[in-house]
Amino acid sequence: MAVTAFQEIILFLRGLSRVVFVGSKAFYGWMSFLTIFVLLGVWAYLFQWREGLYVTNMRDQVSWGFYISNFTFLVGVAAAAVLLIIPAYLYSFKAIKKIVVFGEFLAVSAILAALLFIGADFGRPERFWHAIPGLGTLNFPSSVLAWDMIVLNGYLCLNLFISLYVGYYHYYGKEPKKAILLPFILLSIPWAAGLHTVTAFVYNGLAARPFWNASILAPRFLASAFCSGPALMIIIFQVLRKLTDFRIENKAIAKLAEMIAYAMAINLFLLGAEIFKEYYSDTHHLSPLRYLYQGLHGHNRLVPWIWTATAFNIIAFLLFLTPRTRNNLLTLNIGCALVFIGVWIEKGMGLIIPGFIPDTLGEIYEYMPSRFEVMISAGIWSFGAMLYTMFVRAAIALDTGRLRHPDAPPVVHEEEKGPRARDIMSTRVIAVRPETSIEEVSKLLVSHRISGLPVVDGDGKIIGVLSESDIIFREIHHEPHLVEKLGDMVLPRNLRASDRTGSTAGEIMTSPPLTAQEETPLKELVQIITERKIKRIVVVDKDARPVGVVSRIDIVKALEHISA
Amino acid sequence: MENKVSRRDFLRLSAVGLGASVLSGCSNGLLGDDLFRTKFQEMSPNQVKEVLKRLEEKYSGKYGTQFSVTATPAKENVLFGYGLDLSRCIGCRRCVHACVKENNPSRETQIQWIRDLRMKKGVLDLEKAEHYYSPEQVPEEGHYYIPVQCQQCENPPCVKVCPVKATWKEPDGIVVVDYDWCIGCRTCMAACPYRARKFNWKEPVIPKDEINPQTHYLGNRPRMRGVVEKCTFCIQRTREGRYPACVEACPVGARKFGNLLDPKSEIRYVIENFRVFRLKEELNTEPKFYYFFSMGA
Amino acid sequence: MRRQFNTNPIFMVTLFLVGLVPVLDVRAGSGQDLSLSPAGVLSSPLFPCSTCHAGMEPNLQKRALSFHPEIKIQGHGEPRRWCLDCHDAGNRDSLRLLNADTVNFNESYLLCAQCHGNIFRAWKAGIHGKRTGMWDGPKRYVLCTSCHNPHSPRFKPLKPEAAPLRPEETLRR
Repeated sequence: MAVTAFQEIILFLRGLSRVVFVGSKAFYGWMSFLTIFVLLGVWAYLFQWREGLYVTNMRDQVSWGFYISNFTFLVGVAAAAVLLIIPAYLYSFKAIKKIVVFGEFLAVSAILAALLFIGADFGRPERFWHAIPGLGTLNFPSSVLAWDMIVLNGYLCLNLFISLYVGYYHYYGKEPKKAILLPFILLSIPWAAGLHTVTAFVYNGLAARPFWNASILAPRFLASAFCSGPALMIIIFQVLRKLTDFRIENKAIAKLAEMIAYAMAINLFLLGAEIFKEYYSDTHHLSPLRYLYQGLHGHNRLVPWIWTATAFNIIAFLLFLTPRTRNNLLTLNIGCALVFIGVWIEKGMGLIIPGFIPDTLGEIYEYMPSRFEVMISAGIWSFGAMLYTMFVRAAIALDTGRLRHPDAPPVVHEEEKGPRARDIMSTRVIAVRPETSIEEVSKLLVSHRISGLPVVDGDGKIIGVLSESDIIFREIHHEPHLVEKLGDMVLPRNLRASDRTGSTAGEIMTSPPLTAQEETPLKELVQIITERKIKRIVVVDKDARPVGVVSRIDIVKALEHISA
Repeated sequence: MENKVSRRDFLRLSAVGLGASVLSGCSNGLLGDDLFRTKFQEMSPNQVKEVLKRLEEKYSGKYGTQFSVTATPAKENVLFGYGLDLSRCIGCRRCVHACVKENNPSRETQIQWIRDLRMKKGVLDLEKAEHYYSPEQVPEEGHYYIPVQCQQCENPPCVKVCPVKATWKEPDGIVVVDYDWCIGCRTCMAACPYRARKFNWKEPVIPKDEINPQTHYLGNRPRMRGVVEKCTFCIQRTREGRYPACVEACPVGARKFGNLLDPKSEIRYVIENFRVFRLKEELNTEPKFYYFFSMGA
Repeated sequence: MRRQFNTNPIFMVTLFLVGLVPVLDVRAGSGQDLSLSPAGVLSSPLFPCSTCHAGMEPNLQKRALSFHPEIKIQGHGEPRRWCLDCHDAGNRDSLRLLNADTVNFNESYLLCAQCHGNIFRAWKAGIHGKRTGMWDGPKRYVLCTSCHNPHSPRFKPLKPEAAPLRPEETLRR
């Protein structure tokens, strides 16, 4: 028995190392890139260990700095995994359920990196065991930091357990037992909120620091975490989609972007509330905020940083608020990068440093991290990224069945059961260039008896779709009462009259186009066509070139075939 | 209780074993021999004796002079209080440097437990304080001075936040740090409204001829890199009945010290006969450090 | 220095701390075990004053003192104040109170107390002026004249000790 278990483990580890450590050139490049930073960080840390925290720019005046800033930010990223779990399991939103494990692994990696930041910051990290109950003397419940240690490690265990449990079942080709999994998942939701709340309370409870001692701090923590976490996820998902055979749908990404918009709205509102309170009452408590946003007594090193963050956050908010920029991958990605950097500044340096400026005896010491702090921090970030890369590779391998017990049944994806776009589409695609005139398009539509066609650029990549509706609307757009009457019948939603003028295909087409992949299952095609009130959907390949069209009649035929 | 202690000891012992094997490769200089010490408050009287003896030997060897490390406990019915006469203080920093001489803080990173603030007359806004005044002579025209050190709060925010109980308030009201238990997280520094806590950013350096070998375990014994330290009202002196070093160093007699529970003490006289105030009283820290004005200056 | 009648506070404090000054018991105090350190003229090499003054006729005329040029009344009730308001004309080793009693130099606080009653009370309670020794045991006082030159009593300014380093100055470059 023991031998068998041992052999099983060896088998698993061998499989694991194969899917985790063997990869493409890009993978090795990425890992080597990270390794360089990790090694630099280790070198800098050894130096810090020998010399003491003197090598940082922290001093008694500003006694927490870059490490604690990054710690705080990473805790926020970890807490945001909850954003994925809630819709996945409470409302069974399938597209997100599929990717939830990536959120959980992100949480695990972020917490591990956050813990490393704590280790880098402590003067005596080798005495960590003083905080272990039973071994040391954890000051619970008096110390909020003690709470934080419990909550952090608890969250780490919870997420590790959930992901390992799911992974284990995938490995053996079984469905995880809901009765076991669900309670832990449900527990992880309040736990994530609690995690970031408790971390906020570490600062919030210090009456000596008016900048932190405002009740709005914990809500602001949560709101900003719910921006930065999903923003990171969106970027990661697109990278995954590009580099691996793992499929993540636009729908899931759009949902996340929408959440960011709401969270950022709340975040900006809370910030505004705080700024109003401090500036209008204009008491001594204003000083740290003034230092941050305007500079205080001629000291203003953080001012450019916080205004960059504020601008980034506002721009990103607008990008995510507008459906057109939210659904466009380019503007979406710009928004994500802006959110991530904006929140990193705001919830990192912008939160921790002003807590100490001016210090409790009114002194101003302008802190900026030393190169050792930057190197160690970069090392920890790289380590986190490395860890996450490996987690993700394992997760994908488990999901796609590349990492599987030899005796496990073969992978059957739910969607594979039914027909897909490639099975029902008509492959005869007539496309036009944007400069094609409307007259020509009309002729094509009539002669081929079709209701719409894709518009492609020079590389054959789809840039829009032109339909009868677009042409009809072009004719009536100058008659507002007609628009009102007909608009809902002939127009896809989210299009505005101002887009509908011109004489070429490019000017009046619907862009960005709604497309499907060859693998998109029938069920989803039905959903898209009914939800968006369109008559056909263009099917594109990996490079966005149209390869087919699924029209309503194709769907009707497919459905008929299934029922027969 | 007996059971609990032995379980903890067992756990520690296993930790020591584990740690020892892990560290066998590490050089002793990196981690030192203090890694698996017991927390002071949990030591039995015999353990305390042993540790004090070991420390005496260690420090005597390191500094080449006979050390005394005591752990004199608090006297009963004593609660220390401090008075500082702002109408007298001339900001000469004699207290700052006497404190340094007495308490063995690192000279290299210049740790000082007392901070003298120069204020414009008519202003009590700490944001307008000058920390680095350096005139030819003090007092200066149009200014007064506020020395700030640990206020030995009755409701100390620093103690509350320590995640490992490495700092606590003694029965005589002194807030102390167990340097061998502190993990160096510096939350207490963030929590202190008086900037009374100092961190050893570097291994402390004290020239042999400047060391004070009369020490207390919870007070002025030499510290190590990466831990927090603070004013203890010169616990090594006051527990033996003596005045703190800053009181004796003050050339103008602005510093008063005594037992708040003794109606005849100097500090009680100050509280009853002068108008006193405490720094940042709105934070409810209940400092036992009273600023007062004995006269117009 | 040799002829200095008043005391430089730093000098006195130093003398005092190194224990060169003998400690005298006095009747002042609040019933605790106190001792008092003498100051001023008692530690002057010119003391006792009667060595010279015993045979001299007291000169009641206000004038510049040619033998004691450093003695100037400054900030202490001039121009009405004169030597013999405090120094006993008959016995220069004593001081003279308002009621014509004479007291020794080591009881000079009794003379000061005639005008500075509040400060005297605070001094007796250990508040005005400094005490050293034990907070719950034997203490030492210093006399008024240890810190205040009776002829120009304002506390003399001192050179402050070094300012702390600014945090920027301790950064590793």
